[in-house]
Amino acid sequence: MADSGAPKPSSSVKLVLLGEAAVGKSSLVLRFVNNDFQENKEPTIGAAFLTQKCNLPTRTIKFEIWDTAGQERFASLAPMYYRNAQAALVVYDLTKPTSLIKAKHWVAELQRQASPGIVIALVGNKLDLTNDSAGGDGEGAGGGDGEDARKVTTEEAKSYAEEEGLLFFETSAKTGYNVTEVFTAIANAIPETSLKTARGPGASSAAARTEEQRVNLNGPRDPNAKEGCAC
Amino acid sequence: MESLADTLWDVVICGTGLQQSLLALALSRSDKKVLHIDPNDFYGDAEAAFSLQEVESWVEKVQTGKEGLFRAASVEKLEGDTGLSFPRAYSLALAPQLIHARSTLLSQLVSSRAYRQVEFLAVGSFSIFKPSSDPSQSPTLVRIPSTREDVFSTTAISAKAKRGLMKFLKFVLDYESTPQAEAWQPHTDAPLTEFLLKEFKMDKELQTYIVTLTLSLDGGINTRDGLAVIHRHLSSMGLYGPGFAALYPKWGGLSEIAQVSCRAGAVGGAVYMLGTGVKAMNDQEDPIVLELTSGDTIKTRKVVRANESATDESGINRLVAVVSSPLKSLFQSTVEGAPTPAVAVVAFPAGSLSTAAGEASQSPVYLSVHSSDTGECPANQSVLYFTTISKPASQDLLQEALDSFLAAVAGDTVPQCLYQLQYKQLRSSAQSQASGSIFDFAPPRPALAFDDSTLQSVHDAWKMVLGDDAIEEEYLTFADREGAMDDDEVYD
Repeated sequence: MADSGAPKPSSSVKLVLLGEAAVGKSSLVLRFVNNDFQENKEPTIGAAFLTQKCNLPTRTIKFEIWDTAGQERFASLAPMYYRNAQAALVVYDLTKPTSLIKAKHWVAELQRQASPGIVIALVGNKLDLTNDSAGGDGEGAGGGDGEDARKVTTEEAKSYAEEEGLLFFETSAKTGYNVTEVFTAIANAIPETSLKTARGPGASSAAARTEEQRVNLNGPRDPNAKEGCAC
Repeated sequence: MESLADTLWDVVICGTGLQQSLLALALSRSDKKVLHIDPNDFYGDAEAAFSLQEVESWVEKVQTGKEGLFRAASVEKLEGDTGLSFPRAYSLALAPQLIHARSTLLSQLVSSRAYRQVEFLAVGSFSIFKPSSDPSQSPTLVRIPSTREDVFSTTAISAKAKRGLMKFLKFVLDYESTPQAEAWQPHTDAPLTEFLLKEFKMDKELQTYIVTLTLSLDGGINTRDGLAVIHRHLSSMGLYGPGFAALYPKWGGLSEIAQVSCRAGAVGGAVYMLGTGVKAMNDQEDPIVLELTSGDTIKTRKVVRANESATDESGINRLVAVVSSPLKSLFQSTVEGAPTPAVAVVAFPAGSLSTAAGEASQSPVYLSVHSSDTGECPANQSVLYFTTISKPASQDLLQEALDSFLAAVAGDTVPQCLYQLQYKQLRSSAQSQASGSIFDFAPPRPALAFDDSTLQSVHDAWKMVLGDDAIEEEYLTFADREGAMDDDEVYD
């Protein structure tokens, strides 16, 4: 009964990443997109954005994930970064209290700059460095080995998230714990009314506006464009 | 993360105007260490786009003389609840230039893959404002026929004029080949209007149509330049789809291209710092030592800056107005299958306006009307950009142009002007130049259409920065980054 012939409607959603340097923004995305993790990853260079689908029972969400490309380091993100973002992942490092302060700053910035209906998820990353066995269920019960590096309590971050109406998760990009759950929760939280079916290449604005009037620079000019990109 | 002082930078780019930003894009796949700073806390310099809040702080800066090329800025708002939306709902462009489809800027944005993040909209019809001879009647707007189909179907001109116009359009499409070139070359430096009269027997009105298509601010464009611009216009028609010759980047024109280019620079590893300028420079040392306003002292091999000093007081006056109507009649597509245009151009020929004191306009006033599709204003409003060459009466004439335009498009009610910004932008005759390890970009020329000659200095700066590492064939020609949208995949 579940699998009928018709394909599910597919929509793309622009998701922006925010958070202090080195909290694991790109690692979370790499885990989500490639199911991969790199120890000692260099600061982000070279990825404009990544895409990944998220299958929901009634529809498919295609995330277009925008990295800050380091422009957040000196508070120099351009308006085009926030524009038409339907979702944001604000990441902090739960072993570093200042990163939560920074995260709160980004939430305020999103409330100021982004579209009013944006879905924001607050994510405490690096759960693997704490004694909560990431992926397990025994909360702190058997965590005898190693130091607990946690400096931000779940309660503190969670109550802030509730106040601001944010989704909240603690994750480990390293073990993969809770990563997919974050994106699935975001996908579920995006109101159906703000979704449009994906259309046309370069849909950087994702779905928000009608696209009939957009001019495609790869259109009539070069009908043979598919034969090679070195035009 | 490394501190700024620990890095030996290959180049520090100061300013995020279009040229500096395109340079950052051009360097984005090199392995050069790029630090890109801007004393402003916004992207785009003289090509920025502003929310209403940002307009106000910019105007304040201009008034205190801190914005090199800009003068006499002021804002006027209707009092009370005016229907103006929240400040961020607006994005008013300092450089609302349209870009012809044949412009090299577009082909560079395509070859560098940066176009994927810019939304381009179609520029629709060009019209002429006609004052009414009877003061009880409203003035009108007459669309300029600029394709053969247009000329056939227009009812605005006589059959004889149609033949003349048709002959001229045919001539321009092939104006560089021998027989045509022989016809115009003797007139090369003479005004285009004179050539049109002598060779095509065009009357004043037809001459005005043609000169309007050149978007020449002083109306006195010469034959050589005029033909080149009209050729660009005609040969651009239909290039990216039916019914339009020029494009406009959504969300504030060239500002958007600057932002997208800077992002590409950042993705390539450049470090961005807004709100940071150069306080002092010692270029006697190698590497050059820069003291930044942030307090950092850094070392760099090369410096690229913007020259922001005006050479004289000539320039343009601009009036930007937000009005309470979508002005739908201006944004009809005229050809089947054409995208809905988001920009319309209206020219007020010299002599068609006069101030309250009775002084007639000596130069044309141009108006670029932007619908809310540009993202520059909320739905059911429009943004009007009036431009004219600076003269003592310019401010009054721009006000007059605004009132006359609103009268010409009024239906049952006259649209209201909710907000207006006025300013003067100076021109500079300075040229872009390299001297040693320092490159200075000339200030951008205020114009109505993007001028490709701007791109040459970007290329020159790129060569200076890369030196022997510059590979011509790779200039702004890049493959897609991993994860970029795949055209086929979108539909699966």
